[in-house]
Amino acid sequence: MNNLDRNLRFGWWSLLIFLSLGGGLEILHGFKIGWYVDVGNDMRRLMFTLAHAHGTALALVNIAAGLTARNIKGFPPRPSVSLSLIWAGILFPVGFFLGGIVTYDGDPGLGIWLVPIAALLLFYCVARIAFDLSKSN
Amino acid sequence: MTQVATAATLFGAAQEREFSLDGRQYKMEQQGDKFFVRMRSLGGDYGPGKQVVLVTGSHTLQIPWLETGEGRTLEQFPFAYIIAEKMWAPVSETFLTPPDLKEYYSIGAWNGACMDCHVTQGQSRFVAGNKWDSRVAELGIACEACHSEGNQHIALNRNPVRRFKIHLTAKSDSSMTNPARLTGPVSGLDCGQCHSVWAFNNMTDKIDFNRQGANFRPGHDDLGQRFVVQPNAPDHSEQKDFIRKAEPDFFTNRFWGDGMIRVTGREFNGLQASPCFRGGNFSCISCHEMHPKQTQQVSLTKWARTGQLRPEMDSDQACLQCHKAIGPNITAHTHHEAASSGSRCYNCHMPHNTFGLLHAMRGHQVSWPTVQESVAYGRPNACNLCHLNQTLAWTAEKLHAWYNQPVPQLSQDDQTIAAAVQWIVKGDAGQRALIAWGMAWEPAQKIAGRDWFYPYLIYSMTDPYAAVRFDAWKSLQTLPGFSDFPFTYTSDDHSLRETAARAFEKWLREVRPPNVIFPPQSALDSDGHFQQDVFQRLRSERDNKRILLAE
Repeated sequence: MNNLDRNLRFGWWSLLIFLSLGGGLEILHGFKIGWYVDVGNDMRRLMFTLAHAHGTALALVNIAAGLTARNIKGFPPRPSVSLSLIWAGILFPVGFFLGGIVTYDGDPGLGIWLVPIAALLLFYCVARIAFDLSKSN
Repeated sequence: MTQVATAATLFGAAQEREFSLDGRQYKMEQQGDKFFVRMRSLGGDYGPGKQVVLVTGSHTLQIPWLETGEGRTLEQFPFAYIIAEKMWAPVSETFLTPPDLKEYYSIGAWNGACMDCHVTQGQSRFVAGNKWDSRVAELGIACEACHSEGNQHIALNRNPVRRFKIHLTAKSDSSMTNPARLTGPVSGLDCGQCHSVWAFNNMTDKIDFNRQGANFRPGHDDLGQRFVVQPNAPDHSEQKDFIRKAEPDFFTNRFWGDGMIRVTGREFNGLQASPCFRGGNFSCISCHEMHPKQTQQVSLTKWARTGQLRPEMDSDQACLQCHKAIGPNITAHTHHEAASSGSRCYNCHMPHNTFGLLHAMRGHQVSWPTVQESVAYGRPNACNLCHLNQTLAWTAEKLHAWYNQPVPQLSQDDQTIAAAVQWIVKGDAGQRALIAWGMAWEPAQKIAGRDWFYPYLIYSMTDPYAAVRFDAWKSLQTLPGFSDFPFTYTSDDHSLRETAARAFEKWLREVRPPNVIFPPQSALDSDGHFQQDVFQRLRSERDNKRILLAE
């Protein structure tokens, strides 16, 4: 098992969680829960939507990274890349989600500050994978 | 507020399209999302269409404004749309105006007057003659109307670190005026910049205002080029003397004789004259809110229809938030049952003694009822606005017994005829309108009995003032047997009398209960007819002075 196998596992579990969260958001919409759909709560709605979208997308990126490592010979997966990708997959959705729990009118809550950290981690691992793949060829 | 006229904003556009008034006919036509009005004299051909460019008003009444071909100068369409009734009526008959007043607004009225308050940061920009080159920051009443200019606020808050520092440390952003953080008088002036009777300090300020717009900004402690006119306050005496000479009816068309405001839309005058105001904390937002926390559509609709009040502020809580000691034993204070309408603070201390836009509204000068206010200034007191069937003598006796108020000298009529009967028959048009409206007020109907209202409301449907006729009709519709009674309150005299006669016959033959007993103070015979000697005498004493209660 290489380092990126755990990304494969993380990715599938993460996909399960965030697809379920998507169902949760549909329920909030379906029952027109004011805390989510009222005019004054549009920032919360945006944050939860972004949490759902990023969680799902990052789950797919983790799966893609795991499959890449398995299928390409001579591609040396680094522990830092694997961990960064997992943390990006956690911090992105959690940051957006926490940002939507408490909102300040036009601004999300403090949790939103996790998002730039997640973005840096994601940028690092995508760049690293791209470079390493280029070298392995 | 003012809006660009479109199919979505122009109320009544899908309804009546042809109108006639004073020998002229008007036809409204739709072309795409635009509306045009063509006009002709009776028998003539329709002229070219003038576009309806703007509409003012969105809660109660809406007035369309037409292009004039003279730049940004607008002309009033002579009909307004009464939103609740879903009907058009001549503008001059949507305010309490003398019957001989044919045109209430005119060319340039929007530019020179209406836009002062119905837009945000308007500049009339008078050019010459009756030409204007008006500009606005926003057509609606938007953020800057209450929070002052936002340039600096927007620039500073592009920085997310600053925003989060404010979210987590300070309660409010100092780069923006927040009325909730101002003292009561300064906060109140934020609303009072429009919701007051104001006048210019001098001609220079008036010219400056017309060119540059108001220099008042929310957070200022005076109106800049203008001042709030309180007739009996010692300030600005020179300016008020000038107004008395230049426009002798200015004060009587806006204030009761003791200086209390009598028109709606000028609530800050009442607030400023209230004893509560002297405490320094009392302001409009003590009871009202502009940004309700409950934002479901149902809550917003209720909030918009009930005076934009904060939660619970439609109850005694509005007063008890300060006057806490009265709450636990309210009966000792009110001498009415605790659950009755007589124990509701508003009903005694903010009765419906202001009028505008075809309806009465609670006065915003917190006061207490006296018989003296009715005797000396003609203002219907709170007691007799509910106890419509009682005399002033009855009220004087109660107020003396309960609050040791002195009993004023009262006439024979004041001892035998209900105050409301006197006001609706011999009062001035403003008093008549208040009582005609008040006969639909539920607490008054419950306490005063409504069987005797019919003849007076039917009689008032022939009043010379359209506003009185309208309210008499609407009140009649709240009574059994008349809920769908049709009446065109803008009809000619002959039609009005015919409809009133039909209504009276209907009441007499179909609606009146067989064994009904009318209170003796109602001045009605046992069969429901007016006691002619009393009625004719009161009618001959009617106060016929011209009166114009706009808003």
